[in-house]
Amino acid sequence: MTSDQKTTVLILDDEPIVCKRLKPALEKAGYEVESFTRSREAMHRLTERQFDVAITDLKMDGLDGMAFLTEVKKRYPETEVIVITGFATMETAKESYQKGVFDFVAKPFKLGEILEVVKKAEAKRRSA
Amino acid sequence: MRILFAGDEHPYSAYALKKIIELAWHTWADVTLLSVCPTQPSSRDPLPEALHRYREEFMEALGGPDSPYAQERWEYEWMALRNGSWEEVQVRRGIKKELRVRLRVGSADTEILNEAVRDGSDLIVLGCSGRGGSCTWDSAASTAPQKVVGNAACSVLLIKEDRPIKRILACMDQTTVSQESLEMINQLLTIHGAQLELVGLTKDGGARPEAYTQLIRIGDYFGDKGIPVSTRLAEQSKFETVLSTHTGDDLLALWMGKKSLLTLLFPRDWVEKFVSACPSSVLVLR
Repeated sequence: MTSDQKTTVLILDDEPIVCKRLKPALEKAGYEVESFTRSREAMHRLTERQFDVAITDLKMDGLDGMAFLTEVKKRYPETEVIVITGFATMETAKESYQKGVFDFVAKPFKLGEILEVVKKAEAKRRSA
Repeated sequence: MRILFAGDEHPYSAYALKKIIELAWHTWADVTLLSVCPTQPSSRDPLPEALHRYREEFMEALGGPDSPYAQERWEYEWMALRNGSWEEVQVRRGIKKELRVRLRVGSADTEILNEAVRDGSDLIVLGCSGRGGSCTWDSAASTAPQKVVGNAACSVLLIKEDRPIKRILACMDQTTVSQESLEMINQLLTIHGAQLELVGLTKDGGARPEAYTQLIRIGDYFGDKGIPVSTRLAEQSKFETVLSTHTGDDLLALWMGKKSLLTLLFPRDWVEKFVSACPSSVLVLR
């Protein structure tokens, strides 16, 4: 990853409103963003390219966020994964921590909060 | 999620702190513990001591090695001082999440509301005394909880007792329901394993189409997420009767947006009076 390249971000959330909020905010902040509401499509995209940062919801139909986190880290260990969830529990927080999540953000959150987390993930990727 | 705890040195604040610890345990929220002194604190002032105790309690519960709040390493950071100068101080931050402890001087409600805006808080949590009566703080800032509930831009959770939350009784009119408020209810239902009952408030008999549509829409939102929800309609004039049917193990949730019919129908200070009269803890959603 070179300094003149845009940091790439994948968003996966089955609630379209979340993608609708997050994508333009991250693009405005200078990131290259792709968003998905179906985990299968997001997984397929991951077979085509790597992202610097992935943001995923936890509770989804089909492949859930925990499985997505596992898959991303298996395929691209250096991709930083941020888990967002509307149903936070200590168990899911711990599990995602053990699976190498960069951060765990419970809903509701303000755009500023997620932008801050993405910025930190980007800094970690660039310093690697 | 960012949570602001505002408290003083009295037992109801300790109850609210327990709730904060529980919320943080599950959500990994960034947490700020705040107290407000009416005048510059002296070394014998109980508030700094109480804040210190709250931090210790929080870290005792959540500072373990697997915790996102565990403090990893010391770092130097520049801190702004009051007179416009800066000082480089050594600080120790959480591995992933922050616990901030702040003491402010001034009017309690104003400082709490300002802190919530500055911090981008999603939820303010505070305790208060007076089950079913007063909802106050035992200090000069006695009505601060009511004023915070009435004027905050974000949701406010007012803890009256150290009791489990077994049911969330969410009362709604046809006002716009924010995505954030639905997410807040989701989290509280998940954390407490609580039941959800939606009460659609209607006016002048029968179901107003807007209220009915809103009730169905919100019921579907939770239903789609696999959350069992029961719904009913209630006449606004009998709202107080609705309140009397719930118990201390309920959390009463009210949507209080700018255009809320409840706030239009009742005098400006109605919300403040309502939370005082309510026998259980209250969640005001925005």
